[in-house]
Amino acid sequence: MEELIKRYEYEIIANDFDIAGSTSSSIKRNLKSIGVDPSIVRKVAIVSYEAEINIIIHSKGGKMCLEIYKDKLTIRAHDNGPGISNIDLAMSEGFSTATNEAREFGFGAGMGLPNMKKYSDNFNITSSSEGTNIDIDIYMD
Amino acid sequence: MERAFYLDKNKCEGCTNCMRKCPTEAIRIVNEKAVINNDKCIHCGECIRVCPYNAYNSVTDKIDDINKNKFSIAIPSTAVYGQFHIGTEICNIHKALLSMGFDYVYDESWGADLVSQAVRNRVKEIKDNRPVINSNCPAVLRLIKVKYPSLMENIIQLQSPMEISAILARKKAKEIFGKNDEDVEVFYISPCPAKSIRVYSPIVLGPSKIDKVISLKEIYGDLIREMKMHHEICYSNPSIKGLKWSLSGGQCEAAELEHSIAVSGIENVLNILEEIEMGKLNHIDFVELMSCNESCVGGPFNFENPFVAKNNINYIIKNTDNSNILIDDIDRFEEFDKLGYFEQKINLGFKNAQALNIKAGIERLEKVNQMVKILPKIDCGSCGSPTCRALAEDIVDGINTIESCVILKLKK
Repeated sequence: MEELIKRYEYEIIANDFDIAGSTSSSIKRNLKSIGVDPSIVRKVAIVSYEAEINIIIHSKGGKMCLEIYKDKLTIRAHDNGPGISNIDLAMSEGFSTATNEAREFGFGAGMGLPNMKKYSDNFNITSSSEGTNIDIDIYMD
Repeated sequence: MERAFYLDKNKCEGCTNCMRKCPTEAIRIVNEKAVINNDKCIHCGECIRVCPYNAYNSVTDKIDDINKNKFSIAIPSTAVYGQFHIGTEICNIHKALLSMGFDYVYDESWGADLVSQAVRNRVKEIKDNRPVINSNCPAVLRLIKVKYPSLMENIIQLQSPMEISAILARKKAKEIFGKNDEDVEVFYISPCPAKSIRVYSPIVLGPSKIDKVISLKEIYGDLIREMKMHHEICYSNPSIKGLKWSLSGGQCEAAELEHSIAVSGIENVLNILEEIEMGKLNHIDFVELMSCNESCVGGPFNFENPFVAKNNINYIIKNTDNSNILIDDIDRFEEFDKLGYFEQKINLGFKNAQALNIKAGIERLEKVNQMVKILPKIDCGSCGSPTCRALAEDIVDGINTIESCVILKLKK
């Protein structure tokens, strides 16, 4: 097990479109200020933004964590349900269960999960009616 | 030359206006005078605009810098055409430049027309790194380098209208006047410090084909006088497509790109870059980002306000008939493209830029966050740093002290 250097945790509130994106923004700002390579920061920004928006649109709310290790960054997104009934379908490009309200905000193009996978080095998702957990690693080398 | 403008310390009152407006937090007030950090300055000119004491002055070349032994060419920015009373003919502006001592004038709208075609083709070819970002606003390029380095790869690797115009003007000097490259000197009449610094100190793009830059304000009076003295009926021959480049949205329109957005004004540009960095605009093909409000007509070296200048340019566009166009350069796009005239390498230069130890970075961030908690968070700027957070960083970095905080002092 690699040594954890630092862990940041953020609360995400369901359906709060006023501050949608603020968590991933502050993750991005912090990583830049720490001196993480810009191309890595961009990957994390894209992945964490998608994760944050997913929790806001689809879930009852949840949490996001950023863990910093010596040579990788881990983003953990956890929500309190209702869960994804068919993960394979959700992972396919263009598939979306977003509400009309969310679509009016320009979300719900069905690219969230596929995009997260695309920009991550390890991507792990588990889901039940209790909630969905996503763990993503992005290596810094 | 590292700067295209300087601060007159005698005029500076240390009022903090420029410091708080600076988009990259490049300014601090030290001993009641503004100090600019050259590494962070993007030459957007917001400080010049906002200074109530007119303490910022342009450092550009002068009309006297025309070398009499050389064939001198003037390329006025297309924004220049919007700086005179409505109905002013472009040909009269060119004639005025000729009577001021230039041997030849090249119309930047021709260059812009050609670049439009290059942008259109290139955007279609590029598959990754969406959206593609324009390369003709040097302030935006520097902003990306300083604040959003991961987006350097999105910048289109094409010459700007200003550079293409210089290349083609030199070609004309050779073809028509038989002048060799070393006997030619190209001047750009600039609406902004950013285009000047692009010539003097290219850090994002390669060396410029322009030799000298004169700010429009520097020669505005001379131009007006010359135009009054030698006014005559003449025939202007601009490209409508090219003229649009001086206005916000003009590039998108000229390049006929479907999923494109135009953003002008440095604050709007900052916001959109934040969104691009989060991948929110991956479905957009092209973004036109211009540092000044309304694009180049809003440049700080212009005389006329951006909205009036915009109307003036639109008037020229409406009254120009491009059906009998006489510009042979525009028809030679394929030829110039094959010769590689439009290619422009972007100096990505961020890899290994910060070989910073992550642990040290986190420690610093923690200290800054602790310090922010102590500070009043009203961002008054009295301490000489633009925000309380910036002061916290400055304290941690050892360039300011907590004693500078006026509010904390009052509370004691």
